[in-house]
Amino acid sequence: MNFTVKKTFKGGIHPLENKHYTESCPIEPVPTPRQLVLPLVQHIGAPCKPLVQKKQAVTLGEPLGRSDAYVSAPIHSPVNGAVKDITLASHPVIGRTMAVYLEANAEDNLPQRPQPERFGEEFDPGSFTPEQICNAIQEAGLVGMGGAGFPTRVKVEPNPAMPKHTLVINGCECEPYITCDYRIMLEWTWQILAGVRLAARAAGCQTVRIGIEDNKPEAVKAFEQALSRCRREEDIQVVVVKTKYPQGGERQLIRAVLGKQVPTGGIPPQIGVCVLNVATCAAIAEAVVFRKPLTHRVVTVTGRAIARPGNYYVPIGMSVQDLLAHCGGLTERAAKVVLGGPMMGFAIADMSTPLTKTCGALTVLTREDVTEPQYVRQQTACIRCGRCLMVCPEGLNPTRIAHAVKHFRMDLAEQYYLSACIECGSCSYVCPAHIELSGYIKTGKLLKAREKKRLG
Amino acid sequence: MLSQIIVSPSPHTSQDLTTRRVMADVIIGLVPAMLASAVFFRVRAVLVIGVCVVVCLVSEWVCHRLRRRPNLLGDLSAVVTGIILALSLPPAVPLSVAVIGSVFAIVIVKMLFGGLGNNVFNPAMAARAFLTASFGAAMTTWTVPATLDAAMPKVQASNVEAVTQATPLAWSKMALKGQAKAEQVQSQLKAAFWGQVGGCIGETSAAALLLGGLYLLVRRTIAYHIPLAVLLSAGIFAAVGWLLKPDVFVRPDFHLFGGGLMLGAFFIATDPVTAPLSVRGKWIFGAGVGLLIMLIRTAGEYPEGVMYAVLIMNAFTPLIDRLCHTAPVGGKPRV
Repeated sequence: MNFTVKKTFKGGIHPLENKHYTESCPIEPVPTPRQLVLPLVQHIGAPCKPLVQKKQAVTLGEPLGRSDAYVSAPIHSPVNGAVKDITLASHPVIGRTMAVYLEANAEDNLPQRPQPERFGEEFDPGSFTPEQICNAIQEAGLVGMGGAGFPTRVKVEPNPAMPKHTLVINGCECEPYITCDYRIMLEWTWQILAGVRLAARAAGCQTVRIGIEDNKPEAVKAFEQALSRCRREEDIQVVVVKTKYPQGGERQLIRAVLGKQVPTGGIPPQIGVCVLNVATCAAIAEAVVFRKPLTHRVVTVTGRAIARPGNYYVPIGMSVQDLLAHCGGLTERAAKVVLGGPMMGFAIADMSTPLTKTCGALTVLTREDVTEPQYVRQQTACIRCGRCLMVCPEGLNPTRIAHAVKHFRMDLAEQYYLSACIECGSCSYVCPAHIELSGYIKTGKLLKAREKKRLG
Repeated sequence: MLSQIIVSPSPHTSQDLTTRRVMADVIIGLVPAMLASAVFFRVRAVLVIGVCVVVCLVSEWVCHRLRRRPNLLGDLSAVVTGIILALSLPPAVPLSVAVIGSVFAIVIVKMLFGGLGNNVFNPAMAARAFLTASFGAAMTTWTVPATLDAAMPKVQASNVEAVTQATPLAWSKMALKGQAKAEQVQSQLKAAFWGQVGGCIGETSAAALLLGGLYLLVRRTIAYHIPLAVLLSAGIFAAVGWLLKPDVFVRPDFHLFGGGLMLGAFFIATDPVTAPLSVRGKWIFGAGVGLLIMLIRTAGEYPEGVMYAVLIMNAFTPLIDRLCHTAPVGGKPRV
């Protein structure tokens, strides 16, 4: 028996993986939908201002919106077509936002295909300067594709105040159900590796660690084979970490892979680390080498209540109903449609909501998957069992924070480190009283932000 | 079809665990002790357990009705309180006393403080303390187990309906006072482990309680910190005493298996509502309970101290919670 201690963090949970629905489905392109909606906010930072007008014709890859702010990312058209309208649209994360409505031309819109075969072992990042790489990343509108959506240029670009020395690549995909990152790690290995080396060159990092959970041995093998054939100067290694949720949280991943702790409420660059998702790396390779903006991404459509689950190469801006229709529609038993995975995704009610850059999955859950107490949302009294404290990967006291927020005691909530919460939802998952701890904490963060705004 | 689609904050799934399941597990964990009590004290034990459970449920139902709250009997917490109270009563206790205790536990100790999750003291232990203060004689009458009449000395005048004898701990107390020999007391160790001794209904059989406690640990219904801390601190205290003065102090294993220590360590001190939240707090709480049990047993006037030890530490729980802030990753705990 092997008794080596697996690399991991403290706390966390083991939800049912349920990756079997889609883990063996190769990435498939989808037909271009007639109508697309591109929200002008698909990232953290300043919203874009529209660059196009109503009825204007647009081509594939043309910028639709941009902002002059440093922390922002432009948005591009995924089709050839015309602007139908610029108005409000449903947004999975922030409710409603301004968006560009596009109508695709009926003819010149063949489904876009990924082109991983254009990258191989001979790729040399040395032919691009760090400035070129950073500019290409910005122009392509790249954001963190793992879910947070922080503009990639801001992360990668060297910052004299916080010099970076290590790049950690996140190939954990710890969320249940989702397999989009797993599939690209298998199918686009060389492209990801090219993106990793470009990012390392831009950020000035000599050390690169690719963290992959031990439930994906095929992905580990793919990267190890690629690395053994690839001639390089950087020190790139695959690190196998324990399968546990939320292993793919950047603070947890750094703890597991490097054994270092990011200060409470701080960000990885404070300890000289930059974390990028594998999907972001693949997009970096395309953006730098082909000048291809971020207009498509891989989305896992999965769950027991979906007729044809799979991993699809989807134009950003496609509506949830179009994608569901392509996958055979919902079955009778659908109880919850979630953009993202079941742990951190956003449940939506409006099926015309568009898919954004940060959306890696569309999970359709049945009532059994949701579990009965969670479905009826009956919360009973806290019995102070302390399970939430045991699983919190950030070492917080979720029940105390939630109760402080419930009584609008924001000062008390902050004493318990409200803002250090990463919103992984492990506390709500284990709570025997089914209290929506993570929901209360998110409410608390919103209330705090509102208060800050009010006070100027 | 879309009308069935619901929205709510993430996470959108959860562990298959409810408060009801947690309480049901505690009840299952108590089954061996209840069976043992039925073997040693026959119908009397079954009767007391039944009365306590029924009265607890009725009191809780009435309280919910008066507060116009949804009926929450289904969470089974009143059943757990009833069983633990019954197991900590002497077998010969008059049923009226059991009824008064059950009403006190639910109405005064639990519901007046706000119901499940809000009570400061363990309802069963607070009720038992109330009964000890109010019905001293009835609460210290120890029936001889039906399976055995051992040669233990009689310390209490027998009441009309039962043959009584000293509990192992009362005997060990006599040893401490020089009225008996420690080795003589130790000869009862095996009987105390299996349960053929005088004592409260559910506390006599350490073996049955250990079995149930292991079930709770395996099911992860309780965390191991509190039971381990209780056993360790009581065990170390007893070992030090025994090593210093073996002629008056009984062996540590006798202390661990005798009296209500096992019941207290696995089922009473682990009551989540009245114990601290954090792991560090749980260690302190458990160590405090173990220490106080041994202090009362050796230096106090009572032969047994589980009840008061748990109640005293319950009172300290808010303070422990305040002092044991969890440390956030990458930072220091804020005091």
